[in-house]
Amino acid sequence: MKLKNIQPQQVYRHNKGLLNALHIDGWLLLGLLLLLSISVAIVYSASGGDEAVTVRHVIRIGIALVLMVGFAQIPPNIIYIFTPWLFAAGILMLIAVILFGDVGKGAQRWLDLGVAKFQPSELMKLVLPITVAWLFAHSQFPPSYKRLFSGAIIIAFTASLIVVQPDLGTSLLIAMSGLFVLFFAGLPWKVILAAITATVASAPIAWHFMHAYQKQRVLTFLNPESDPLGSGYHIIQSKIAIGSGGIEGKGFLGSTQAHLDFLPESTTDFIFSVLSEEFGLLGVITLLLLYSAVIARGLYIASQAQDNFTRLIAASLSMTLFVYIFVNIGMVSGLLPVVGLPLPLISYGGSSMITLMISFGLLMSIHTHKRLLTD
Amino acid sequence: MPDPLKFNSDAEAFQQKRLFRFRLYFAYGFVLLLFVFLISRMAHLQWYNYERYHGLAEGNRISIETLPPTRGKIYDRNHILLADNQPVYALSMIREKMDDIHAFELALMNLLEGSDPEKIEAYFKKFRQLNRSKAYTLPFSVSEEQAARFSVMSYKFPGVTLTARLKRVYPHKSTAVHALGYVGRINVKELKKLNEQEYLGTNIIGKAGIERFYEDRLHGSPGVQQIETNARGRILRKLETTPATPGEDIHLTLDIELQKYAESLFKDKVGSIIALDPQNGEILAFASMPTFDPNLFVDGIDQKNYSRLLNDPHRPFINRAINGQYPPGSTIKPFVALGAIEKDYISPTKKIYDPGYFDYAGHRYRDWKRTGHGLIDLNAAIAQSCDTYFYELSLTMGVDAIHDAMSPFGFGEKTNIDIIGESKGILPSQQWKMETKGKPWYRGETIISSIGQGYNLTTPLQLAKATAILANRGKIIQPHLLKDELKDSSSSQIAIKKISNWDSVIQGMVDVMHGKKGTARRHGKGLPFKVAGKTGTAQVFGLNQGKYNADELAKRLHDHSLFIGFAPVDNPKIAVAVIVENGGSGSKTAAPMAINLMKHYLEEKLTGISTQTESKQ
Repeated sequence: MKLKNIQPQQVYRHNKGLLNALHIDGWLLLGLLLLLSISVAIVYSASGGDEAVTVRHVIRIGIALVLMVGFAQIPPNIIYIFTPWLFAAGILMLIAVILFGDVGKGAQRWLDLGVAKFQPSELMKLVLPITVAWLFAHSQFPPSYKRLFSGAIIIAFTASLIVVQPDLGTSLLIAMSGLFVLFFAGLPWKVILAAITATVASAPIAWHFMHAYQKQRVLTFLNPESDPLGSGYHIIQSKIAIGSGGIEGKGFLGSTQAHLDFLPESTTDFIFSVLSEEFGLLGVITLLLLYSAVIARGLYIASQAQDNFTRLIAASLSMTLFVYIFVNIGMVSGLLPVVGLPLPLISYGGSSMITLMISFGLLMSIHTHKRLLTD
Repeated sequence: MPDPLKFNSDAEAFQQKRLFRFRLYFAYGFVLLLFVFLISRMAHLQWYNYERYHGLAEGNRISIETLPPTRGKIYDRNHILLADNQPVYALSMIREKMDDIHAFELALMNLLEGSDPEKIEAYFKKFRQLNRSKAYTLPFSVSEEQAARFSVMSYKFPGVTLTARLKRVYPHKSTAVHALGYVGRINVKELKKLNEQEYLGTNIIGKAGIERFYEDRLHGSPGVQQIETNARGRILRKLETTPATPGEDIHLTLDIELQKYAESLFKDKVGSIIALDPQNGEILAFASMPTFDPNLFVDGIDQKNYSRLLNDPHRPFINRAINGQYPPGSTIKPFVALGAIEKDYISPTKKIYDPGYFDYAGHRYRDWKRTGHGLIDLNAAIAQSCDTYFYELSLTMGVDAIHDAMSPFGFGEKTNIDIIGESKGILPSQQWKMETKGKPWYRGETIISSIGQGYNLTTPLQLAKATAILANRGKIIQPHLLKDELKDSSSSQIAIKKISNWDSVIQGMVDVMHGKKGTARRHGKGLPFKVAGKTGTAQVFGLNQGKYNADELAKRLHDHSLFIGFAPVDNPKIAVAVIVENGGSGSKTAAPMAINLMKHYLEEKLTGISTQTESKQ
């Protein structure tokens, strides 16, 4: 991999207005601010009107927005340069977690850095797709099988380090973000079909390696009513919350399921249920329209990107956002097994919000750091 | 300068861009498709299944609690409380809603200091194996003060609820228990007959006496309270409340003070006294001795007390006033006499010679007075209770005429008092004997029937009712215990040809008390009012009294002592019937009891001074 000189003055467009000066994409920002406003309202409601929780959430959103703007300033070619180092650091931290990690909720996911606890898998949500995109930066589309295979190895290796934490859900989602890069790089359809077939076929083997609680989640998913007071309880109560919202919902702050403690984790993983209960089907459709607009903007940015590295990153990050949305909503509505996963941009919670906003910073950077086509 | 991030040729770039864009469209199409799928899932939950989930959500938060009604209080005729409700507290626990059972166990031991910690521990051990979703009430009573202390810290113990309920209390304890009855826990048999809706939240029902007869009025109707709870069962707020309709307070005709006095007359004796107001059938005293404390039954009687009462040879559970069936003895003579003169079997002035016995068909029927009464008319026959007079008279009349004479007074029929389970007694006739024994009537049986022996059996209440009708000169009354109920029976009157016949019979009864030779003349002396009475002494031996076999034999062979009477004769205010089991002669035992009761009641009434009304509660 040869590193070429890049002239910064060539990269920048002429700045027009504050947004351009800050490398902010106005449309994306608008969509995000709308979603975050909804988030603040729902967290306020789901926490039972807890102002302390809401203020903390707003502060976190503020920090995330600052980080987003900060990352938007970094030109993609700088990221390109640091990609191998970031990947190496990420892998080392994942190994460190396995060796020294703090046990939380029965899984080693945290790395105690003294001042703060840190979740390296969160970092890998961004680093892995960037690394795989880096791999295909100079490749022809569709790339050679050899290169596709090396990409698959990187994905599998990273995912396996997370699986052993153990965190099956996150490892699958991270693997997904890498696989999206392969898909957008032009992974042949027959390979995709073959992979899907193989995955379905290997499900019994995966079952064998699952932890008891993971198996329980799957079993509960298949039949939540079988254990109405145990693990099925969450799903049953969540479905009651959603269903009882009806078309128009019970109104803001009207969630009886959350306010009366029937709904577990109502501010985090199950916040969608609160939203559905209070704003009904119309609220759900509005939310999904907003999400699809943000995803569309991300994919549009990918389509406008000028090189393989940035277009793969932009497309992968947009699709990863979609997967997170789909899995969370699918989970709380009883379509998918319960995996501890927040609803992007809406749930209360720190690290996933930060990671997401950084990825939007990267999208903005990709969109605003275009080289002059006329050079 | 070549750039690594730039494509080599425009053509190549265009082709790669096309591939990439196609994949973008495909991906976005996939996104939209799955979003539509999610929306259809949501529509399925929120639109198609809305009703179901709405119901479940409401069911989640709203729990229905029944509010048991307050049982109506029972008062006596002077508004003195006979059955009250007293608040008692209990704790109940639902295991699945409890955080830390052990912590509560410790807190409870602290709360109920003084009670046996091992008992608490044993209960909790058992509790941990019981159904986790059911509420169990702790078998330890909680005082008002302990209840207050618990409610302060109750927030620490979800799943534990303090409930206050009202417990039935009988402040006069054993007094009038056979009239009042008592409440107790609903048993399986009762449960089948109940309207369950009416008994939600209640486990108490009237078991006997007034408590049972007026159950419907006393019970009331339960209310319903909708309570919003959270997932842990904590009550957040009360929604709609339909209050319970309390049971009706009722007043009895009993005079509890008179009742106490009546019961005190028995001392250790066994039997029954009924006193009623002959003008309206209101029962003033209703004693069946011995008695027992109804308070023992309210929360379920313990085995020790129960077997003590059950094994008592005097059988305190038997309501002798309505279930004790006794030969009436000579107390029936006034009724037979009335029938005889009314139907002209004999004239009141006709005299019969009594040598002290009566021979019939080779059998000698003896008079209680061995030496005989000599020549005797109707008045003297009643006053001196001459047996021979009635022996002879009965043969003239025949059993059916005696039956017909006595039947309007209510003998052989239930009085239909407002207590369940009354006995009918027996008023024999030829038809009766054929139907029940399958044998014809023998005339010798008529002879002993005429003095209230043989097949004749009456309950004390029947005797009292008959006495009251006699006092009323034929106006039939309905004995009853409920005060407010105006059971108007003034329409029925025993038809009689000659009004003076009442006087003839009643005069005989007056002479029992006030005549020179009256059987109870000792007790009639110095009374401030005139009494009409009749003594009775019923032979026990040879009668079917199997129920009392446990009693010791010697005592068992003593005659029953009976007395009926009313006073004042000119304007009867009280009619009394007394039976003392194995009490000996009627004049010796039963008569003074009845006279004392009348005196007690009438002196109070005549002077207008009530010693009791101040103790209203």
